[in-house]
Formats: sequence, C-alpha cells, structure tokens
Amino acid sequence: MSLFSEGKLNGTVHTCVGQEFSALAFAGQLKKKDFVFSNHRCHGHYIAFTGDVKGLLAELLGKASGTCGGIGSSQHLCRDNFFSNGIQGGIVPVAAGYALGNKLMNNGAIGLVYIGDGTLGEGALYETMNIISKWEIPLLIVCENNFYAQSTPQSVNLAGDIRARADAFGIKTFSGHTSAPAKLMDDAKTAIDFVRDNNKPCFFLVETFRLNPHSKGDDDRSAEEIQGYRDKDYLHIFSKEYDGYYNNYMESISKEVDDMVSHIFAEAELPIEAYYQEENIKCSNNWLPANPVNKRQVELLNNFFKEQMVANKKMIFLGEDILSPYGGAFKVARDLSALAPGQVFSTPISESAITGISNGLALNGFKPFAEIMFGDFVTLAFDQIVNHASKFHHIFNKKVNCPVVIRTPMGGHRGYGPTHSQTLDKFLIGIDNVKTIAINTFFDPAVVYHQILKEQHPVIVIENKTDYGKKILHHQAVNFVYEMNEDVYPVVKVRPAVSAPDITIVAYGGMADMVNNLLSAVFLETDLKPELIVPSLISALPVDIIKQSVEITGRLVVIEEGSAYAGIGAELLAQVLEQIDSKIIARRIAAYPVPIPAVKTLEQTVLPDRTRILQELKAHFA
Amino acid sequence: MAIIQQIKVPLIAVNDTTLTVVSIPFEHAAFVKKGDVILVFETSKTTYDALAETDGYISYLCEEDNDYDVNVVVGSIYSLKEEVPVAAAMPKPLVTAIRKEHFTEQAGSWEGDTLFSPAALQLIQAHQLNASLFTGFDFVSKADVEQKLSIKKTGIDKQATAKKSTNVLPADITRVIVEKLSSNKKREIEYLSAVQSTGLTSTINTTVETEGIFVHINQSLQYLKNSLLPVIVYETSRLLQQYKQLNAYFTGDAIAFYNEVNIGFAIDIDKGLKVLRVNGAPQKSIGEIEECIMTLSNKYLDDTLQIEDLSDISFTITDLSSEGVSFFKPLVNMMNSAILGVSSIDEKLQRCVLSVTFDHRVTEGKLVAQFLRELKERLESYQSKYHPHVNQNISCFKCFKLLKDDLSDVGFTKCITPKGAEAYICQSCLKGF
Repeated sequence: MSLFSEGKLNGTVHTCVGQEFSALAFAGQLKKKDFVFSNHRCHGHYIAFTGDVKGLLAELLGKASGTCGGIGSSQHLCRDNFFSNGIQGGIVPVAAGYALGNKLMNNGAIGLVYIGDGTLGEGALYETMNIISKWEIPLLIVCENNFYAQSTPQSVNLAGDIRARADAFGIKTFSGHTSAPAKLMDDAKTAIDFVRDNNKPCFFLVETFRLNPHSKGDDDRSAEEIQGYRDKDYLHIFSKEYDGYYNNYMESISKEVDDMVSHIFAEAELPIEAYYQEENIKCSNNWLPANPVNKRQVELLNNFFKEQMVANKKMIFLGEDILSPYGGAFKVARDLSALAPGQVFSTPISESAITGISNGLALNGFKPFAEIMFGDFVTLAFDQIVNHASKFHHIFNKKVNCPVVIRTPMGGHRGYGPTHSQTLDKFLIGIDNVKTIAINTFFDPAVVYHQILKEQHPVIVIENKTDYGKKILHHQAVNFVYEMNEDVYPVVKVRPAVSAPDITIVAYGGMADMVNNLLSAVFLETDLKPELIVPSLISALPVDIIKQSVEITGRLVVIEEGSAYAGIGAELLAQVLEQIDSKIIARRIAAYPVPIPAVKTLEQTVLPDRTRILQELKAHFA
Repeated sequence: MAIIQQIKVPLIAVNDTTLTVVSIPFEHAAFVKKGDVILVFETSKTTYDALAETDGYISYLCEEDNDYDVNVVVGSIYSLKEEVPVAAAMPKPLVTAIRKEHFTEQAGSWEGDTLFSPAALQLIQAHQLNASLFTGFDFVSKADVEQKLSIKKTGIDKQATAKKSTNVLPADITRVIVEKLSSNKKREIEYLSAVQSTGLTSTINTTVETEGIFVHINQSLQYLKNSLLPVIVYETSRLLQQYKQLNAYFTGDAIAFYNEVNIGFAIDIDKGLKVLRVNGAPQKSIGEIEECIMTLSNKYLDDTLQIEDLSDISFTITDLSSEGVSFFKPLVNMMNSAILGVSSIDEKLQRCVLSVTFDHRVTEGKLVAQFLRELKERLESYQSKYHPHVNQNISCFKCFKLLKDDLSDVGFTKCITPKGAEAYICQSCLKGF
C-alpha cells in the first residue's frame, strides 16, 4: 500500500490482510496438477499456490518480468494452473470447464475456485452450481465471506442462507473460519479429498475478516469494528503471544521483500511491440470456380461434426437440447451424442455457463464447440465472450490460448418474432481478438470449420436459420461467374461473365443467398450489372477485394440483415472510403431499427427483402 | 498560439465545387504580412486571391495546378516559424473512378445468351438498331447501347470518359510540341461540351439590313458609335421575355426556365474568353447598356471582375463584328439553351448576319426562326428611312451650330462643301454674315 501511496504502483490492489489462512488452507494444500481460479482479491491465493512472490510484486509494479508482464496487474494473474480475473462470478463457469477437462482426461486433478460473498449476487454462479452438481465436476468452490461487498454490508444485499444455496443444488457443503486456522486447515483438506476421491463438487464457506479497505482507501467501517476483527485475527494474536519470534520473522520477510522491490524497480517494462503489432491483412486474389454441392447446409455441418468428433477426442460439443434423438433445434447435432457420447454435453438453459465452461475447456487444451440455440441468446453469454474468451490470451501476457468456438444461428424470415429473429453480428465484430465468421450457401461450411479446428483463439460462427435447409450453390444466376478466393475463410465473388460490373454489392450470411437470387432482377430493374462479394470472415472484412471492385464500378452497396447504425455496412464503408481515391456512390440497405415483427408482411418490410432491396437500389443507383 | 488562420478553398460560385490552385506566391514556411496574396484560385469564370488576414508563417497544403474541393484546408498561417510543419500532409487532389480497360477488351467474348435490360431494349428500338450488334455480350445495359451509338454517358461514367478522352491521341514529342491545356481552357471545353457533346444543337442564321441604321442608334451611344452590340442587347433582352425557352437550360430530365433575363456578352481581348453579365438589361436604356458594357470591359482589362459579373448568365451574345467575320456558328454555353452570334456588317451590301445556335432538347428551329425574324425586324426599325423626322443633331459644317440650337426656325440647307463632301449649312453662314 505504501508503494501505491508513493505513486510507484499503477492502478489498484485488493489486499487479503486478515484472510490469509483461507489462501493457505485451500490453495496451499492442493497438488501441483490441480488448478486455482481466483478473483480480484487474489494475491494470497496466488502466493499460496505458486509461491511466486517476486512474479507478483513485479506484476504489481508493471514490469516485464511480472507474472503477466505487467499487463494484468493485481487482478489478472496467471502461472502454473493459476488464473484470476476481475469479473465477479464469471470465473466460476470457466473453472468448471477447466475441471470438466481434467475429469475427461481422468488425470486425478481437481479444481478450486475462490469467490467472495459479494459474488453470490451473480447468476453465472448458480448456472454453474447446477451444472457441476449434475455433471459431477470435481470443483471446490470456496466462498470467502468477509461480510462486505466492497463497502456495502451483507445485510443490505444478501437474502437467505449461503450454504443453503449450494445445498439446494445437491452440492456437499462445509464451513470454517480463518480465526480458527488449524481446524480450517483440516476441514479444507477433508473437502479437497472429498472432491478428488468422489469426483464431485463441493462448496466451502469460509468466514473471515478483511482488515484493510476493499481496495485502497474505500472503507467506511468504524475503527471499533475493524479492531474487533483484528483482535480475533490469528496472526494478530500470534504476534502478541509470540512477539519475539513474530518480530524476527517479520523483519526477515520485510527485508527480503524490500530487497526484491528495489531490484524490481530497476527492471524494464514490456515494450508495446511485444504486446501488440498491427497486422496488414491482404486477401488472396487467386479466384477458383465455386462449385455446387448437392447437399443441404445442415447436412454438411452435421457430417463435419460426426466425422471430426469421432476422430478427435478433444472436440467437445455443448448446447441446449442437443442429445439424440432431438439433435438440437436445427439438427446440426443430430446423432452426435450417440456417436461420441463422452464428448457431447446437453446443457440446461444457461448460456453464460455453457460459454464459460467452454472457455475453461479451451484453456485446458480442448476444442469446445458451444451451440447457442438462437443468436438472440448470445447476449446472455456476452460477459464470457467479451471479458473472458477474448481477453485471456492478452491479459495473461500470451501464456495461454482460448480456442473456444461459439456457434449460433441468426436471422429472420421465419416469423419467430422479436427475440428469435435478430441478426446481432454488429455486436460481435466489435469484440477485439475474436474472429467472427458468417457461413453462407456458396460453399461447403466444412471448409470454414476445418480451418476453425486449427484456430488457437476464440471464434464465433454465425449460421443462418433459413440457410440450413438450402443446398450449396443450388441457384446460379445466368450469365454470372461464381468464384471463391484462396483465403482460409474464402471470399466469394459473383461477377458478370465478361463485362465490367457497374455496381458492387456486398452481402454475407443469409442475406448473400437472398441477393444471389436477385442478381438478374437487379440488372433488369436498375440497368446496372452487379458484382456480388460475399465475405465469410466478417470481423476482418476483405476491404482490398471490395475496393478493387468499387474502383471499377464507382458504386457500393452493403446489404445486411441487422440494423444499419454502427453496423457491418458502416464499418465497411468507412474502411473503403479511407482507402479509395475515387468518388463513389455508397449505400447501406439494412433492417429497420425496430424489434422484428412476427407478422409476415411487417417482417418482410422490416428486414431487407427482395422488394425492398430492388426498390432501394433503383432509388439510389438507377 | 499555433494556427492563426486556416485557408480553405472558397465557395465562389454555386457551380464551382472544385477550384484550381493556380499560384502559390510564397515559399513554404515564409513570413507573410496581413493583406498579402497567399494563394490564387481559379474558378470556371475568374481567379480569386486569398489574402493573409494576419502576419505569420505560411504552411501550404496544396500544389499548383491541382484541383481541390470547396472547404478543403489548403494552407495555414502559424504565429511562429518553428510551429510550421516541415512536411505537411497534402489533401488528396480529386481523382475520378476509372473503368479498367481489360473489361472492355473482354466484351464480345461471351458465347451464352445475351441479357438486355429494358432500358437498353427501349433505346435499341428507338434507334432501330440490330440486336445482333451485341452478340458476344453477357449483359447489355443502356450504357452499352449508348456506347454503340457513340453517345457519351452521364454521371460517373461521363466523368470517367471525359477523363480518358483527354489522353486519347498519342503525342510524339519528337514531331510535335505538346502544350498543356490551361485549367481555364479545360473548363471552357467542359462547359461547352455540356450542351454541344449531345450533338443536339442546330444553328439558324438571318441577315439584318443595316443601311442608315446608325444614324439614329449613334445618337444614343457615347463610346460605341457604329456598334450594334448595345442595341442588340437592348432588343434581345426584351424579346427573351417572350421566348422563355431561349432563356432556359436542359437539366438532364427537365427544362429549367430562368426567372430573369441576364444577358452575357462574350469578350476575348488577350485575357482569355469570358462572358460578362449585363445586369438587368431588360430595364436598361440603350445608353445604360452601353455604359454597362464599357464598365465591364474595363474591369476585364484591369483584372478587377467580380464573380457576380460572371455568374447567372441566362443567354449569351457573342459579337465578332469587329473581326471581319461573314458568319459563324457560336457554341452554346453550359446551363444556357441558346447563343446569339453577331457577324460583321458587309459595307457593300449594307447588312450583317445574326446566328442563333440552340439546344434542340429545350427548343426547336421554328421558335428560334421566329425569334430571329422578330429581332431582325426590331433592329431594322432603327433604319433612318423609317424615321422621317429631322435629326436634331445635324450641324453646320462652317460654324458647327447644331440644328436644335438654331433659333431662325428656317432650317439648314443641304450643300456641297468646297472639298466636295455632302454637308449642311445654316442660314446665317449661307447668307454670309
């Protein structure tokens, strides 16, 4: 804390003074092969599990030698099976996924996740407790109850009984107190052994007192209250009863730490080049014919998973309603649970836990494919994507990869109404370090999924409900040539056979199929020869290819099924305009910014359909 | 203090969305004083001097002979020399989309069916073209048909075509001297192309009998004696109020009629061709019109023309009568539907030719012929034979007394002077006292 006061420590810290024995009792008694997930108040847990005091101090002081190179600092630590993150509750399903991975590998390792009593307000915790109990995942949840959520006393926010929460899920529970450390050590060992021996979860409530403020100075508790805690604190009692021993020991530790800190001060910080370097992505300009496949898209997806999951035991398929015979709402998972029973997990309706568990599996070396039944529900998994999957690699200074895959169908035109028809891709492409792919009906989706198997970082795949039942390149407009480039996530180009195009149309996902069926009509209605460009990797749009086309046509229209504001069209137009020297006419055609109506006539108007697309093209380009 | 003045491309005339930088008088980072001309822009009609509003050090963000959009920052004045950037980032000069050549080379190689757009079919039928002309095409749009008809395209395509056409002919510098077109000339070409390039213009001529015409006209003129221009401006400005189609222009899919008649007269005396506006000609007398022509001509010669002297011209008159021209075909200016050309007076035949070139998309020959006939009649009405009353400005060749100043109420006598010339002599001089 004194380093912070002197301005030598950037950001914030959450000390565990008074709670040390919780760290020792649990993290300190685990085996090396076990793992620990922790939260913002993680210093004690880290030292107890890894013994790496220097790595922690260097991390806090922002040095390259810190356990995460100074990127993560106090709340984000990673070393030797230890992980912490500053998001309350979000680490619990990740820990469950990691533990599930250990169980699948049958390696005898268990997991431990520390939460605080403040975290009891987070829904992800309960989604996960339900699953770990049902799936018998060897995870020990340690809830450190210090009676305050930051500055708010527990009586203000917490209803009911803490242990009863875990009891309700059928999870074995224990409790203890840091003021009775010997008993706590014994009980903690019992709980650890229970999890390891029975391959089942366990919940341990540890009552404890925080003697320092929540963070740096935010403490409204009375001095009397804190003194009361201090009087009960075992280390405090020990320092009084064995002051000679204690003082000698403290002096020795303090000197060791002071020497360490003075050495660390002289160390260098991480250069930006080691953390981030701009990538200059160029698309392939080799165009090969795109060929029809006489199979429906869903059949090809299902075949891919059936073939690959049998061959690759690290592939895990999770989602709601996916077991045989149902096989998922759109049948992508048909027969998978019969063919690879140990790799298919039908989940409760728990999108946050599904995604978090997948993240944990990915961190533990698996290749999980999480299915979110409808794209609209991806918002429930957002914290796991934005604050966990997308960040782990960077905040842990590239020590770990999280190659999770999240699949979800989006799109309307089926009358499912406001919460089952949306295209929310614009929210997904805004997440840094996550690849977002929209498959289409122009080539076999297995091409995309084979590449995804090789990815080391998170990928989100948007499928389209109306495309599932379509055959690949079943419709080819006359006098157009269908080509795809050699990118790993191919770009499709549909161009007039010999003449120069007059207008560049960019569409992707389900909208690309609709536009493909319109190409002749576009020419007849507008007198303009269209060239359709269909990206599949929509989080890094093929701007150079589109720019080449627009340099010829001078006209660019982006057709998307989501609403226009701050959407993919906006991003694409911005990038093209940044790079192009010519004056062009540009336009976005998108959904109206209202919830998608279920009634057919209104749905057809709100979402861009054949009539509206042709009308807008005529109005703005003809 | 850092930047104390930003120099933006000014909006001088509504039609000029881009201006050319024609002169950069100072070096980059040079010291300039308040009032110095720091940049010279050229519009389609005139030049414009950008002045320093303050003392300081100038940083240019433009290059000579490049075009820049209105409102683009093309320079800044800094308070301190060290604040001036060493190499400032230049705004991009304007470039237009260019069609890739290889596509046109491929056209004609398609072996499948040809798909015609409805607009293309309509044009094919209108021109009774044979559809087999398009064998080998995958798609035929209206633009393809127009290309076959050698009709230039509109919009972006038109720009692209115009851009390309400037480079069509090869120039072997061992055999020819290549002189770059001035921006002014380029604009002149562009502006005249706007109407003429359609090929839908026509010219009608008429002759005006001029015998004795100046006897009366000259009485109204102070400077431009024996010039038809003031009276032509006078009469045309009045006639155009009846012939609204000649005071209009073609917009592409409509005809725009000007609310007011603003006659412009072309002038080219070694300072480039310009058309100057005779403001409010329908309300001016012949003398006032002459005065206006003189004032504008002097401003032209002194380089003090203002943008309003050159703007909003609804009808143009070009007078080549001083050049000994028998007759010529004038070219219609952009956003005009017609132009009147005035040729020289044939002294032997005592007549001159008036020519009107007009945009057939706006009007037609019959109306223009009527206009010319009426203009001819109006001009010929100035001939002295139609005015039997005595010219009060007749003077006595001996004492120079004017007839109107003669108090005898007897009149002057026609006589032959000792040198043999026809003249008049007053009664006093005739009677010898």
